[in-house]
Amino acid sequence: MLSRAASSLFWMARYLERAESQARQLDVSLNMALIDVPEDRTEQLSVPLLVSGTYDDFFQHYEEITPQNLIDFLLLDDQHPASVFNYIRNARDNALHVRGNLSADVWETINRAWLDLKVLQQEGVTESNASSVFDWIRERSHMFRGAAYGTLLRNDAFHFLRLGTIIERADTTARVLDIRHVMAMKSMEEQATQSFFEWTALLNSLAAFEAYQNTYGHSLNPTSVADLLILSHELPRSLHSCLKEIAGLLDQVESGSAQRARRMASSLYANIRFGDTAYIEERGLHDYLVDFLARIQRIAGQIQKDYMGWHQ
Amino acid sequence: MLIETPDAGLFDELFDENNRVRPHCRMLENWLLESDENLIAEKRREADVLFQRLGITFNVYGEDQGADRLIPFDLIPRVISASDWHKLQAGLRQRVTALNRFLHDIYHNYEIVKAGVISAEQVFANSQYQPGMQNLKLPRNLYSHIAGIDLIRNNDGDFYVLEDNLRCPSGVSYMLENRRMMMRLFPELFAHSPVAPVEHYPNLLGETLRAASLKANPTVAVLTPGRFNSAYFEHAFLARQMGVELVEGADLFVHQNKVYMKTTVGPQQVDVIYRRVDDDFLDPLAGNPSSMLGVPGLYAAYRTGNVVLANAMGTGIADDKSIYPYVPDMIRFYLSEEPILKNVPTWQCRKKKDLQYVLDHLPELVVKEAQGAGGYGMLIGPKASKKELETFRGLLKAHPEDYIAQPTLSLSTCPTFVDEGVAPRHLDLRPFVLSGKKIQMVPGGLTRVALKKGSLVVNSSQGGGTKDTWVLEDDLC
Repeated sequence: MLSRAASSLFWMARYLERAESQARQLDVSLNMALIDVPEDRTEQLSVPLLVSGTYDDFFQHYEEITPQNLIDFLLLDDQHPASVFNYIRNARDNALHVRGNLSADVWETINRAWLDLKVLQQEGVTESNASSVFDWIRERSHMFRGAAYGTLLRNDAFHFLRLGTIIERADTTARVLDIRHVMAMKSMEEQATQSFFEWTALLNSLAAFEAYQNTYGHSLNPTSVADLLILSHELPRSLHSCLKEIAGLLDQVESGSAQRARRMASSLYANIRFGDTAYIEERGLHDYLVDFLARIQRIAGQIQKDYMGWHQ
Repeated sequence: MLIETPDAGLFDELFDENNRVRPHCRMLENWLLESDENLIAEKRREADVLFQRLGITFNVYGEDQGADRLIPFDLIPRVISASDWHKLQAGLRQRVTALNRFLHDIYHNYEIVKAGVISAEQVFANSQYQPGMQNLKLPRNLYSHIAGIDLIRNNDGDFYVLEDNLRCPSGVSYMLENRRMMMRLFPELFAHSPVAPVEHYPNLLGETLRAASLKANPTVAVLTPGRFNSAYFEHAFLARQMGVELVEGADLFVHQNKVYMKTTVGPQQVDVIYRRVDDDFLDPLAGNPSSMLGVPGLYAAYRTGNVVLANAMGTGIADDKSIYPYVPDMIRFYLSEEPILKNVPTWQCRKKKDLQYVLDHLPELVVKEAQGAGGYGMLIGPKASKKELETFRGLLKAHPEDYIAQPTLSLSTCPTFVDEGVAPRHLDLRPFVLSGKKIQMVPGGLTRVALKKGSLVVNSSQGGGTKDTWVLEDDLC
């Protein structure tokens, strides 16, 4: 397939995954802000800004973090590149670019999300209807995935699209875990009830709360949470699951002579697959995740070099 | 629902001169009379939403980039009888055959010029003539693989060719999507009408493009200027329907006079390019040097015969409005046949006598740029203000060779949904003619309709709409 098309599919899927994940972060943070004691509210609300790397940006535009400011900035701001509005716009632009590689179902799902979002932006979103908008965004993302799974040929177009989704997902899981784990640990030292909410927030941000209950079925403890989000081969958003899929997809992509991205992914996958909690603890969770993030970004860069930036 | 009857003296597709419904349109009339206004209004809204969702939008030059607009779609189909289509089809086949013969001739032996049918000046001094195409051997001697012939029906009931589009005729995706939309909104209509299918057009197009190369299993790609082009939707649509890559200039490169696509597994050679990019922008080394849409070296590869362009370069000479008056003579010259389809009488302002006539009768005539397209820069005498007439008088005197003039034809009308209800509006027809191993076309084409009362301009860029076009498989109903 065309290198440019591979790149557009990759980014289209990344942006959609990013939109979904940002909606989840916002939803959880706004909820937590309601529960939290007033002095901790700002910290809660800053999580989506930290995850998307826009904390400093935000304060160029606003003086303080309020729920409405956060909604305006991260959800519907058309001037701000890291808003859900622009993620979906970029996804749709990329989809338009590869219209020829998409099924009508996938294209229409994305195009429709974009059309509806424009209306939503005009009507405005406030704290009171924000939750239903987050639900709506998650549903669009599910529909996109459903349409992709249900109607696309399992060829390289599909593989690159999935790579975009999964690389973005691995990146998100590592970032959210890194930020929220620290917050939850801190709360344990302070107050037991509060810490329950903090751990729940971490799991909910990654759609893993029910999975945790299912797997461990006992009170929340830091080691099990990290275990689930990093090493579980069952949880679809764990680093293990993501790397397994990335390595598998790169094995399937028709690769010609390009092998580097494949080698890097397989090696990282092996590390996680045979990794254990003790090693992570010994190294320190933060260090471990920082290293992981650097490696996953190198893999993403190498995929683009190997398949999408082909030069004569 | 009430149907406003047509103005006297105009040909209407639904009603005859006594305001009786034409026999082949009876089922359509019944449907309209039985339909509830509210239901129809609802279906119209549904159609708009569906088109938006499908992304069938186009950009209008001069408006904001990215301002996607829908071409208005009218729910009332335009019906063509089987016998009318039969004649049209024969006429189109004849005309396109002659035009391809003409193109081959003027780039090789110049027989038609030597015979004195067309003057050498009109061919070789025409800015659309591409000297670089001389003596280039093309597979099957085909130049215009895809032709869109614009027809109108005059008040005498006959079809006339208004113009030939032999470069990159567009609009076929609307023909296909309009049909899909009608079948979705009104399935019951199709159950009782023998409407000839058009859905196989992409198959025929693919077949035509593969036949454009003499290779056994050629790789075909659609070349688009990109997603800001007004017809991008159509380019993507056709590529997807044919199962070929949709490429932009930057996706291609030329190496040792062969054209390759940049793919995830390295270069892949391309044999046939269905290009929707104008001649001048195809190769910055040969045409417009600032073109970002083209592929450096493409022209050399083309001259070497390593890639086929559909349509060929240099076809613009044959659909130029100054060549148009000669098409009937071409048919006689190359095929020794009498033309089946009529030409609109045309005054060529380059000729002194014709220019004088045009200046004397300006308020009755339509004046067009000989090389314009899209309904830009034309004058419709009877509708023009004094000031517009004077402006054109000046233009004609200054550059007579740039203009042609034709009588104001009364385009036929067809009932159309408008704000006031159902009223007659003027329309034309663009069938698409495919030339490969043989000439093929799907029954019908794109019907464009002028939505303003009395307007004769059907171009989408000027506020025209489209209709589904029904060719009946038999007229016995």
